[in-house]
Amino acid sequence: MNRVKGRTISLLILCGIFIVLLLLFLIDYEQNGAKWAAFPGNSHVYSDGILTVGTVLDRNGVVLATVEDGRRVYNEDKTVRKSTLHVVGDAAGNIGSSVQTFFADRLMGYSMINGVYSLHGTGDNVYLNIDSQLNVAAYQALDGRNGCVGIYDYTTGEILCLVSSASFDPANPPAVEEAADGVYINRFLSSTFTPGSIFKLVTLTAAIENIDDLFQRQFSCNGTLTVGDEQVTCSQKHGDLTIGQALSVSCNCVFGQLALELGADVLSRYATQLGLLDSFTVDGYPVAAGSITVDDQDPGQLAWSGIGQGQDLVNPCAMLRVMGAIANHGQAVSPHLISNSASFFGIPISLHLFSDQERLVSEATANTLSQMMRDNVLNYYGQDNFGDLAVCAKSGTAEVGDASPHAWFVGFVADEEHPLAFVVFVENGGGGSAVAGKITATVLRKACGQ
Amino acid sequence: MSLGEDILTALTGYSSLQAVWDGFLSFTPSLFTAFARIVLPILAIWLLVRVARSLFAGKNEPEIWAWLILNGEVKLAVNHWENVIGRGSSCDILLNFPTVSRSHAALIRDAAGNWTLTDLAGKRSLLLNGQPVEGSVAAHYGDVISVGGVEATLCELSPEELRQQSKSRTKPGKLVSPVKTLLIICCFDILLATELALNSDRSLWPVIALCFAWLLLLMIFVYLLFRGMRRRGYEIETLAFFLSSLGLTIAASAGAHAMIKQTVALTLGLIGFLILGLLLRNLQWVKALRWPVAGAALLLLLLTFLFGETIYGAKNWLQIGSFSLQPSELVKVAFIFAGAATLDRLFAKRNLYSFILFAAAIVGALALMGDFGSASIFFVGFLIIAFLRSGDLATIALSCAGAGLAGLLALTVKPYIANRFEAWRHVWEYASTSGYQQTRTMVALASGGLLGVGAGNGWLYKVAAADTDLVFGMLSEELGLLIALSAAASLIIAALFAVKSAYNGRSSYYVIAACATGAILLFQMMLNVCGSLDLLPLTGVTFPFVSNGGSSMISSWMMLAFLKAADTRQNASFAIPLLKFGRRAVKKDE
Repeated sequence: MNRVKGRTISLLILCGIFIVLLLLFLIDYEQNGAKWAAFPGNSHVYSDGILTVGTVLDRNGVVLATVEDGRRVYNEDKTVRKSTLHVVGDAAGNIGSSVQTFFADRLMGYSMINGVYSLHGTGDNVYLNIDSQLNVAAYQALDGRNGCVGIYDYTTGEILCLVSSASFDPANPPAVEEAADGVYINRFLSSTFTPGSIFKLVTLTAAIENIDDLFQRQFSCNGTLTVGDEQVTCSQKHGDLTIGQALSVSCNCVFGQLALELGADVLSRYATQLGLLDSFTVDGYPVAAGSITVDDQDPGQLAWSGIGQGQDLVNPCAMLRVMGAIANHGQAVSPHLISNSASFFGIPISLHLFSDQERLVSEATANTLSQMMRDNVLNYYGQDNFGDLAVCAKSGTAEVGDASPHAWFVGFVADEEHPLAFVVFVENGGGGSAVAGKITATVLRKACGQ
Repeated sequence: MSLGEDILTALTGYSSLQAVWDGFLSFTPSLFTAFARIVLPILAIWLLVRVARSLFAGKNEPEIWAWLILNGEVKLAVNHWENVIGRGSSCDILLNFPTVSRSHAALIRDAAGNWTLTDLAGKRSLLLNGQPVEGSVAAHYGDVISVGGVEATLCELSPEELRQQSKSRTKPGKLVSPVKTLLIICCFDILLATELALNSDRSLWPVIALCFAWLLLLMIFVYLLFRGMRRRGYEIETLAFFLSSLGLTIAASAGAHAMIKQTVALTLGLIGFLILGLLLRNLQWVKALRWPVAGAALLLLLLTFLFGETIYGAKNWLQIGSFSLQPSELVKVAFIFAGAATLDRLFAKRNLYSFILFAAAIVGALALMGDFGSASIFFVGFLIIAFLRSGDLATIALSCAGAGLAGLLALTVKPYIANRFEAWRHVWEYASTSGYQQTRTMVALASGGLLGVGAGNGWLYKVAAADTDLVFGMLSEELGLLIALSAAASLIIAALFAVKSAYNGRSSYYVIAACATGAILLFQMMLNVCGSLDLLPLTGVTFPFVSNGGSSMISSWMMLAFLKAADTRQNASFAIPLLKFGRRAVKKDE
């Protein structure tokens, strides 16, 4: 009998295998349960693939989307609907980054303990950080042009304004084949574009920390910088200038030279350090990662990269985070789209109690950058446009082949009352400060109640 | 409008008593569900903890069947019916003398109490009363056994010793009161039935009430029956009743007919369980019936192969009039019954070969019918039995290699079988085709969370074959993952109990049968659960007791008899006769 007893280990092994498999499953469930529950075939919370629970509200409690009689309905104002489309989402789930698609598990009030069960069966309220009226202002300022506007509070991480255009009305969605090109893409979160001169801030950051006599140097620009076969040109001869002046006039020759002096490794190290080359998440949604292609063996390409042309691509949200870091003395506060989800009885379920911060640049460098960007506005873009807001900014006009260039305007308000960082991008919009700067001025004045 | 109606309307907002009743009914289900979904998992876990404590925490003192008195001085206890005497460390009776072989002799008692001595060393150094033993001879109390020159006298336990033993061994129920456990499971079932009824169509209410009431009656009947038989172990039955009540909930999703069918199957299974348990009391009868049962099993499979019905791609159904049966389920019981063996049969390799042939015939027949899920269950059952019988890893490895080759051959001859595996571990890429069932299982499971959306509130039952293949998902969706995991834990507890029973096993027959039962139930559940969760390929086998299916319910219940027959705790199991030391003692005195 003793022998048979020893052999019962075979049954114990079988038990062990089963328990291990169950544990593997439980780990999988813990990590992916929310995704499973948000599968559009789940008829507890979907009907014909359309989410039938949950309400989306803006920071002021304005209902952006809700459910009435089992149907999804949106805000009664058409411009509100169109300006918040990429945040709220469409019924068909074509906009992958939207609350109704990516954050559907929050709308259905999913939790590991209760699944999608709730006594009332109407799902959860998801409060967004955005202000729908600010979105309307930004959408109207974009005036039908493709692009995006993002504004966030760099001390708390709240995204106050997020508009992506082209847009459509979710209450009357166009057929997929009739929809405008790229209308389903959230340009702010999910796209990358040629940055143009706004990338000079990256080159400048590297230069501040790696070139000892940067501020003592006298640079000179004769309108053209020849690197091997490549010619980097400026719109005009800038003559002799300091680094501060070079940033203000956005001198390509100076920044091309700086890139060559820094080298490919340093430049890509700083682009990485500033978070422009890796994806990060906004409440769990992964933003598009940017890219640069630089090589010391190809100095022409390196010089182009240093001024944000060539193969450079950046994501607007990542750029916004960099602006937030510069404004916040080097510490970047992660942007958050969702304020909290509250259950039916108004009890908040999740709050960002601790803002997650990451140091992107040293405090000294950040403060130097701030001052130089402030000088840009005072000396070049014109303070008049921004009332009495202490705006610090950098414009960008990104050449994209034969088409009209992309217009960029990025920066922040250096004011404890209005701690806002912004990124404004207009696809093929033309000159950076003229086009994007103007939109910025409109939206910032609205945001600051001016 | 009358005054009464006016008052009613003012008080309740409803215009008639009927409307008040309807209004009451319309919000009662959701309130009751909110209550039940919390209480049911607590009761289920409480129940399992009690059962596990009762099975594993209590002391389990060895039984003593006789004494071997060495040189008239040292008293060695004979703890099993089947004992190997020798020098080797795995011997039951250890004689550590250089003249004794590693496995020298077998001392075996039959159910009637007669002892047999068998020579295992073959060196003519085993003597009984001075005579060399060749093969086997009967041994009697008072006989002197000489093992390699070491002399031992076989002595009977005195009536006083017997009485003392049965008094001093721990009886189940001492640590954990069975009445309280019965109360918990009754509460669980009443709560479950009420929740299910409230969330179901009103036409289903009488059937739900009837079936669950019958289940409660059966539970109380079994309790009283065993009490009348002075038996105190109900743990295994409690686990089975717990699973069966979950099975009734699953069956309810398929309608009134399925519920009644499942209740009838449960009753038949319980009867089969009791009959088989009583039969297993007598090892002589069992040994005599092994070959006929094996023959009947093969005949049944042959009939199925010739006249079977094809359902879901497998020709494994036998239609008799309006009554349909899945013979492979009943064959499982026969397979264990015929496959387990007493110690005397384990020494000759020839016996193992005939078992291998028997198993190969069954597995082959099922594979030919296209029932690969059942075939793999029998194969695992075979591996466990073969290993327990022989301890021979070479035989196991050879069998696995053979089965692997046969599997490869099947894949090349019938390439469509490979299609079943295409979605495995990639079900989300095949979410609307071959991964449909698995993805829906996970979606429904996540919707239920740990506590579920309430019995009768799910949608997974609408997916094809959900009430048999996806029951883990259905349980999770409606009753919550905690109860689904409790269901899985029930059979793990049963399997672990089979392992524990080996420590004080009387005969290797009972231990092998119990472990094979544990292995088959466990592996079948593993294929079902892991198949539906995409951890293993989906094979379409049933979750014992829980899946909707009469044959499976009957065979699962019958297999439990093997576990009961291995439960040697004092006064625990109805499948083990009580020792009648009192009467015997009187006879001796006369």
